[in-house]
Amino acid sequence: MPTPAGPAGDAIRLDRVGKAFTLDDGARVDALVDISLSIGQGEFVALIGPSGCGKSTVLRLIAALEAPSEGRVSVEGRAPDELSRAHRLGVAFQDHALLPWLTVSGNVGLPFRLAGRPVDRARVASLLGLVGLAGFEQARPKQLSGGMRQRASIARALALSPDVLLLDEPFGALDAVTRRRLNIELQRIWSEQRITTLLVTHAVDEAIFLADRVVVMSGRPGRILRTLEVPFARPRGPEVMRTPEFHRLVDELTLLLEPEGAA
Amino acid sequence: MSPLLRAKLRAVLFGALGIGLFLGAWEAVGVYRLVGSSWPPLSTTLAFAFDPDRATLFRRAMATTFSMAAGGYVIGAAAGIAAGALGVLVRALRPGLDRLVTTIHAIPSVALAPVFIVLLDRDSTGMAIAAMIVGYAMYVATTSGLAVASAAHRDVFAAFGASPLARLWRLELPAALPALAGGLRLAIPGALIGAIIGEWFGASRGLGLLMVSAMHNFQIPLLWSAVLITSAASLVLFGVASLIERRIAERFRA
Amino acid sequence: MRALGTVVSRYWGMALILLAWQGWVTVFQLNAIVLPQPLDVLADILSNPGIYLANAGQTAWMALVGLATGMAVGTLLAMLAWSSPLLGGMLTPLGVLFSSIPVVALIPVLARLFGYDGGTVVAIVAIISFLPAFVFTASGLRALPAGSDDVFRAFGAGGWVRFTRLVVPAAVPNWMIALRLAAPTAILAALLAEFLIGTSGLGYLFRAAGETFNTERAFGTSVVATVVSILLFSGTLAAEAWVRRRWG
Repeated sequence: MPTPAGPAGDAIRLDRVGKAFTLDDGARVDALVDISLSIGQGEFVALIGPSGCGKSTVLRLIAALEAPSEGRVSVEGRAPDELSRAHRLGVAFQDHALLPWLTVSGNVGLPFRLAGRPVDRARVASLLGLVGLAGFEQARPKQLSGGMRQRASIARALALSPDVLLLDEPFGALDAVTRRRLNIELQRIWSEQRITTLLVTHAVDEAIFLADRVVVMSGRPGRILRTLEVPFARPRGPEVMRTPEFHRLVDELTLLLEPEGAA
Repeated sequence: MSPLLRAKLRAVLFGALGIGLFLGAWEAVGVYRLVGSSWPPLSTTLAFAFDPDRATLFRRAMATTFSMAAGGYVIGAAAGIAAGALGVLVRALRPGLDRLVTTIHAIPSVALAPVFIVLLDRDSTGMAIAAMIVGYAMYVATTSGLAVASAAHRDVFAAFGASPLARLWRLELPAALPALAGGLRLAIPGALIGAIIGEWFGASRGLGLLMVSAMHNFQIPLLWSAVLITSAASLVLFGVASLIERRIAERFRA
Repeated sequence: MRALGTVVSRYWGMALILLAWQGWVTVFQLNAIVLPQPLDVLADILSNPGIYLANAGQTAWMALVGLATGMAVGTLLAMLAWSSPLLGGMLTPLGVLFSSIPVVALIPVLARLFGYDGGTVVAIVAIISFLPAFVFTASGLRALPAGSDDVFRAFGAGGWVRFTRLVVPAAVPNWMIALRLAAPTAILAALLAEFLIGTSGLGYLFRAAGETFNTERAFGTSVVATVVSILLFSGTLAAEAWVRRRWG
């Protein structure tokens, strides 16, 4: 269901946003400085950068888990927490944060309960099929592998057909093979849904494969270094990752991520 | 045989050996009067406790003491959990509640006995003291248990727009269940201690009273039987609570 | 103004109790024999400092000596149990067993065994304090970081070095917890023992006051016993904080 976008058709907009944290000893640390970013309706943007550059903070600002120290964050022209309060936000983090006492289908159906709606069992079943967990409805998270838990986490994120999807290193804790497989699956799932998505990752190849646009951030304090339009058409199969153009882009961005002065 | 299985078998064997030696020593010290006549053999104490002539005496004493302990347990647990939940829900109240509870806990039951004797009656003092001991244990278990839910879980709940009530009911409470179960287990001997101390201050019946009067009147087998019965009851209930706690931890712990 | 706010937010509970106490006496017009007024209790304490101090000192001394003895023996046994798998395996279930029974129920048994004198009170406190010291120190030692002992062995560290640099720092935090748990129990055990069989100390004073219906004295004893208990408890908390700063 299309939703009204803000000025210039943006779904998400950060205007000169800064974020500073105060440490225990009173010192102030600038996590983000002068970040301006806009994500269009139905666009998939990947945010990459070295560890500690603040990319997770950007995501948390959009999710209304933090408030900006400077500047303005708006989602569809309104405050970010309106989206979560209206239950139109989906998130999947590196820590899958599934509830250990619920079954897989219980976990995927949780957003319905939190929204005060009856659980749509058909939708839960179709989501589980979509992420490849059919047959595991009654399993508990403890019984699943890391990759399966992340699939469940993504299915949960999609449960209420959100208007915005925020993914923070969802595949960070997985091995390379599983990660690649889940990237391909996520691309397939997303191509069918076309939700406005922000993916935070430190894996350059993952970013380029999945996103329409890749935004590169610098180290502390976090600033935007560069933005890159990804030229590949959708839907993208795994063969895209074997093209010379793909490798060239990966090399180019990887170079950008290296700290200044590295040989 | 895997090393893990071997280690477990060894633990069980050594444990059984330890308990066996303990029981054997109990019997031997009594039989050979190694510490005088105030230590009867284990067999004598058991015979006395199970003597059909004394069954009514013990049954009545057990009924009194156990019902006082049970009453104190239920009241104390309810109060402790409620106070803990209140302290977590209304953050402003927490510092005052913490100090109040800690101070009450530091008051020795001996000091509170006169208060309870005045407010209640002599026979119910045990229940009040038991309630206090259990209440403190459950307050601590509740406040620490409700904080167990991780930041990642809280973030997910916030992102999905969960109300504070939904968060409490669907995240913090279930996550707190292992800690609550642990507290409920640890509180069992405490409830019995409270009931017994209460009886020492002048109750008209109960196992605690039997202990004290037997002590004053040199009725050694009666003294040891009363203590044995109380300890056995505590052990059994503690064991049952441990099994329940293990099941709960298995389901609710991350 | 902020300081006042902090005081109120922390101590409103206690103030409420004092008010309720005074209120109960006033509203129900209770006879002093039933429930004395807080001020009368205070008056009894202040006008008989010698009696209170002597007996409080006696109780505190008994509790401290018993606590120290019990914790020393408990710690020693825990270390022995750690160094010998056979001994450890035998003692651990016994430790669990004795932790799950109401230990104060043993007081009448011990009183009959040792006889009715002052030494018995100390022995009772020692035996009751021994248990948490043993159980917690033993589990602290058992929880040594995995592999750390191998590292030390690989570097050829001798037994004593291993002990002081690895074992002791690992066991200390649990030992402090054991102390914090055992301290109020020690005071309680001393008071109970004195109440049942003692001829001196706050517990005895309480019993004597009860027998003569001197309720101000009885409540005064309660108040002083509470103060002693709180002091001891604060002492252990401070010790625990000091240890945590030094040993991390």
